[in-house]
Amino acid sequence: MDASSSPADKMASKTASSNSLDSSSKSSSLGSKHGGENGMMRDTPFIYLDGEEDQDQKNDVTYVCPYRGPVFGALTITNYRLYFRSLPLREQEPPLIVDVPLGVIARVEKIGGATSRGENSYGIDIFCKDMRNLRFAHKQQNHSRRTVFEKLQANAFPLSYSGRLFAFAHAAAGGGSATASSSAGAGWDGWAVYEPLAELRRLGVPNDMWRATKLNESYSVCDSYPAVWAVPKAASDDFLRRVVQFRSRGRLPVLSWMHPKSQATITRSSQPLVGLSGKRNADDELYLNYIMEANAQSDKLTIMDARPSANAVANKAKGGGYESEGAYKNVEINFLDIHNIHVMRESLRKVKEACYPTTDDSKWQTTIDSTLWLKHIRCILAGAVRIVDKVETMSTSVVVHCSDGWDRTAQLTALSMLLLDPHYRTVRGFEVLIEKEWLSFGHKFQQRIGHGDNKHSDADRSPVFLQFIDSVWQVSQQYVNAFEFNEHFLITIVDHLYSCRFGTFLCNTEAERVAEDLKHRTISLWTHINSSLDQYLNPLFPSFTHGAELVLRPIASVRAVRLWKGLYCRWNPGLCMPQHGCQRTRELLSKQDQLFKHTNELRQKSNNRSNNMQTTTRLASPMH
Amino acid sequence: MATGGSEMPDHRKRNTFTSYVAPLPGDLRANADTNEWFVPSDLRNVHWAKPRLLSNEQVVAEAPAYMYSPIAPMESGDKQPDHKEATFGLLSVTNFKLAFVPLQPRSTLGLPAPSPLSDLYQENLYLGRNEVTLNNIDQIYTIAELGRTASALHAVRVAGSKRKKLEPTKQQSIQGRIAALHIICKNFRLLKFAFQQQDSKMSGSSDNGKRIASALVRFAYPTRHDLSFAYVYREPYYSTLGKPGGGVSMYASKNDWARELIRCGATEWQVVSASSVPLLQNKLHAGKYTLPPHFVIPKSCTVERFLDLSRAFCDSRAAFWVYSYGSSAASLVRLAELQPATQQDTKMENVTLELVRKCDEHKKIKVLQLTENLPSIQDVQRAYQKLRRLCTPETPEKFMLQDDKYLALLDKTNWLLYVSYCLKYANTAASTLRSGTTCVLQESNGRDLCCVISSLTQLLLDPHFRTIDGFQSLVQKEWVALEHPFQRRLAHVYGTPGGSDQLLDSEQSPVFLLFLDCVWQLLQQFPDEFEFSQTYLTSLWDACFMPIFDTFQFDTHAQRARAVSESKLVLRPVWDWGEQFSDKDKMFFSNPLYQRQRGDASQIQQQRRSLAVGHKLSTSGPASGVGSLSMSMNRYTINPQLFATQSTVPQDRFLVAADRIFDLAVWDQCYYRWLPVLDIRGGGQPQVDLFHRMLLSNIAKVQRCLDLQSFEELPDAYYEALGEQRPISKQLQHQDEEPEPELEYVDGVERRRKSLPSTAAAMATASTTNGLVSVTPQLSTLSSFFPFGSPIAGDAPHQLYDILSSSTELLLETSSIMDKSSIV
Repeated sequence: MDASSSPADKMASKTASSNSLDSSSKSSSLGSKHGGENGMMRDTPFIYLDGEEDQDQKNDVTYVCPYRGPVFGALTITNYRLYFRSLPLREQEPPLIVDVPLGVIARVEKIGGATSRGENSYGIDIFCKDMRNLRFAHKQQNHSRRTVFEKLQANAFPLSYSGRLFAFAHAAAGGGSATASSSAGAGWDGWAVYEPLAELRRLGVPNDMWRATKLNESYSVCDSYPAVWAVPKAASDDFLRRVVQFRSRGRLPVLSWMHPKSQATITRSSQPLVGLSGKRNADDELYLNYIMEANAQSDKLTIMDARPSANAVANKAKGGGYESEGAYKNVEINFLDIHNIHVMRESLRKVKEACYPTTDDSKWQTTIDSTLWLKHIRCILAGAVRIVDKVETMSTSVVVHCSDGWDRTAQLTALSMLLLDPHYRTVRGFEVLIEKEWLSFGHKFQQRIGHGDNKHSDADRSPVFLQFIDSVWQVSQQYVNAFEFNEHFLITIVDHLYSCRFGTFLCNTEAERVAEDLKHRTISLWTHINSSLDQYLNPLFPSFTHGAELVLRPIASVRAVRLWKGLYCRWNPGLCMPQHGCQRTRELLSKQDQLFKHTNELRQKSNNRSNNMQTTTRLASPMH
Repeated sequence: MATGGSEMPDHRKRNTFTSYVAPLPGDLRANADTNEWFVPSDLRNVHWAKPRLLSNEQVVAEAPAYMYSPIAPMESGDKQPDHKEATFGLLSVTNFKLAFVPLQPRSTLGLPAPSPLSDLYQENLYLGRNEVTLNNIDQIYTIAELGRTASALHAVRVAGSKRKKLEPTKQQSIQGRIAALHIICKNFRLLKFAFQQQDSKMSGSSDNGKRIASALVRFAYPTRHDLSFAYVYREPYYSTLGKPGGGVSMYASKNDWARELIRCGATEWQVVSASSVPLLQNKLHAGKYTLPPHFVIPKSCTVERFLDLSRAFCDSRAAFWVYSYGSSAASLVRLAELQPATQQDTKMENVTLELVRKCDEHKKIKVLQLTENLPSIQDVQRAYQKLRRLCTPETPEKFMLQDDKYLALLDKTNWLLYVSYCLKYANTAASTLRSGTTCVLQESNGRDLCCVISSLTQLLLDPHFRTIDGFQSLVQKEWVALEHPFQRRLAHVYGTPGGSDQLLDSEQSPVFLLFLDCVWQLLQQFPDEFEFSQTYLTSLWDACFMPIFDTFQFDTHAQRARAVSESKLVLRPVWDWGEQFSDKDKMFFSNPLYQRQRGDASQIQQQRRSLAVGHKLSTSGPASGVGSLSMSMNRYTINPQLFATQSTVPQDRFLVAADRIFDLAVWDQCYYRWLPVLDIRGGGQPQVDLFHRMLLSNIAKVQRCLDLQSFEELPDAYYEALGEQRPISKQLQHQDEEPEPELEYVDGVERRRKSLPSTAAAMATASTTNGLVSVTPQLSTLSSFFPFGSPIAGDAPHQLYDILSSSTELLLETSSIMDKSSIV
């Protein structure tokens, strides 16, 4: 570190970066230099990804920047991104750059008609899934808007225009193959990160009480479940087929995690089909009893119904419901009060309203309060901590479900596993966690995100997964040194949740992914991340392994939960706080390593010397 | 069984509050297994445990009581008063403190002391964990007994509705029986006590609550300052502050001001000492002025003329210089507003400003009106009270209610808004000075928000003030020397009954806390720019309520001087932290992320040397505080032109604060630390700090090994990094036979407070010389409020001691190892 880190410079660099929306800045991962190394360099300012093709280019477009006002420049549209670069008026001025993957776009709209007057009132509005909106103004007379609009529609929503998502073109053109082979070897292939049987083995399955079954290998028993399940040994495959009947969409309770010592388990499922008449099913009741009995430490089984109790009751009208404590022996049921996907979508919309394009500083806290987003996050954290308490403190097995068992259930199981098991707090383990709890158990990413389709107001869209990532971030803020990865890792995941560059988050279920052969026809996000791991690592993590408590119990209070400004407010250059903190840690770490190395060399030298000495004395001794 | 769709699951709703809060092994909670002492059937036990008393400290009332954790989640629905969540013990009111001493069950007496880790948490040498000074007590609420069947437990639970505030100054007779007391402290602590019911068969329990309550009302709200314990406590004070090289400028002498003038390169200003101005020594006239003993005024103005001008201003505060910055030495000046009577005639103000303008190199000044644009002291007080309400919920239900709309409630307090205003103004003032323009801060009396903005401005501009010594000098200069009315603002004294208590009440306002909060925000924004830690700032706020340290006890120097001369008060500066804390506690005052700049220390020492010009410097020794006060200066003024005129303040190290509410956070350590439910066990900043201390410690140890070319004492991390086994030395067998530290029975709890530093040192050396078995150092799991909050049982602290001692050595070292530039 030299003088460049003086506070004056810190400020200078802050203002410099705040003047551009350059997405290669650290708040975004999309334009990152990595992964594009073997892309071709053309006569354009950005590096084309493999398979990325120009679709349209216009040189006389105005980007109506909410912070700097209108800026004039060139707009390029490829099959992957929208790229705008301003033509600086002055020599020294850095150009303003907007670089948005088309997958991020939720909606494109024309503004202004033939009659519109006034500057910059004719053009295109773009609404993004990542909390920003963009407005480009075109000149009416040169008809540049039409092709831009059409190309945007066609390439941002390929599924609505019988096209294919960019991930396929990217992989077909060899994208990522170079990075994959250049890195540490096959172990870092993202598609190989999660092996269901290997992960079960890590958890200790099979054992006396649990077995793995490939009953669903062809996805015929439950089309939204993975091929491999871990179930109580006492339940035969035939028996399982019967239990499936009583669970919504056939999603019967299946093992998510097992405590290495007490063997208390977390299992997940959908709601039982109790209905208004309060139906009972002896197989289902017996099956839950098997799950309870598989844990010798407790004679109770806890069911965590993620929903508010009123919703659980209301679901009976639709044939669903919850396990009654009367019908199920030794079962206690808790309602975790987490609201449904529609409530969450509305809440995030309000967050966007509060954060973009500008914030009202005088009412900041009240505005955030009224989005209820932090309350929802608190609920999820509180639910996860309750599960942790049951499993860790009471050694009681827990069954988690909501209605379908693929939204709130995934949030809760994944989060509680993350709190219980330090493995999931490593980069590799977190990738496994997402592959397992979210992807293999059928969180409907395609529906919830709406990859490549233009139905922006689809009621199935919801930021459920984003909420999970936010919860993970909250935990990482409370336990700063408990995670191997940093905030940038989480933001990268969120960015590529939308970008459609990688195959990881495409499709709704494992069955669909197998049918689409994503493993071979697209690249995994994890391949991309694992090949440039350094930038995703948390320098404080080494301190955690030094005996700190392994089970995390974050504080689920709005007093302790914060709005993730680094994610939600990152497009507003004025709100980007300078990143600090870890710089000093890195310096100290490298100083320590340097000294260790130096010491080691000296010790080796002196050891050699003393060894030599010893040999000489030994040789010399007979002379005496 | 078909349950049917109409079944409502409401009865199954579990209490969501307790569910996510891990059961705490807190030291206050009674151990459920040893409930033999829950029910104090044998009252003789109660009197077995006594609070530790200072010299001349006297117990004025005592009673057996149950102490509750602030929002102890209580089992709902049980009717029996079992006090399972409470600790039973003896509650005493003395002339110094309110003390609760838990009653230890006899059976555990012979057992080893509780977790040694608790030794690491902050312990005040004057106060135990369950004790608060009377100064700290702000509000007392009584909860009336509800009748024969209701339990004290019940009373505590329903407290919200039935509690009644005891007014400080009214000698009210307390009606009815008191089942419980809630005591709200100025430092955000809520204490809850419940008393044995009258219908119990015990003797002497009849009026316990009333006895304590009336003693508190009498002693916690003194109507005169000389009723404070400080006047009774006559232990002599031997300063340890005067060590060469260390140094807080007390600004109690002309020299201190002169030194600052020289350091800033301010040549147009002169120091005036009241003691050397004949007019101010004249009994007839002196009463017209309320001037501090030393102040700095424009050189172009004679003292007589200045005094003449000052009479037009509130509190005689006409244009005091406090700081200059930059090559042109643009000055920061504090100014009061004109007296209400003279406000029509702004001539005096114009003349004063003109004098200031002449001092500026470019003849430019900018006046910042603080009164109009910043909150009044009443606003600050209201914000503080609302904020404190959010931090002292009495029940889990209240906590959750607040939590549900927490941010909106926080917004309504306006506290962060005021913090934001202060930072904004400090930014403005700092940038004015940076642009080479003199900045005048004007406020009604020039002694409240002026202190905040002025000291923040200097913190932003000058790295010296970001060191511990520098910060203490800054507080001494801006707050103590220029007379922030601490006594009134912190309500050390309450108005007499029938007197103008309404007026006095409106004078209470934690302006100083507002300042500390602003500093904390800066610490969050620039974590490596400050030598002190947030623990230091929190401890500083706590120290405001320690009456035996005079720093924050007075409104003016005249008051202080009178207390010394008339009441023989012993002065003890709060900056002598060793008086209150052990070395271990002082270690946590330093910030492990701080990057000392090359030359910071030597530069200051050079200035010290350059000043040794013919003036008597205040000598360090016993009672230097008194000495410096009474020290008289023979010369009329000191002329800085005799010295170098160039400012030695570096100009490339200023900070710009992020000042929007968006950028601010709640100072959780200070405000939330008494709420165990918000304690992230094993998480939060302390773990990160600890990691950095460990790194520093490793670096220091390896460095020492390299220097000595001896590799016997390498840190464990070294062997771990190399995957090597640490060579096990022969002394290892004796490792387990560590002599038991001397036990001391205080407050009925075994403590090892006194012997702690030596034990720590012994342990530290033991672990380094003997070579520990554990290859992987097991760091302890800390509270996220560490060193506040409650200890967690079960970990061995010796490694921590070791890390602390060697890292602190490094932080305090003046060598260049930790210089910013030496680590790349």
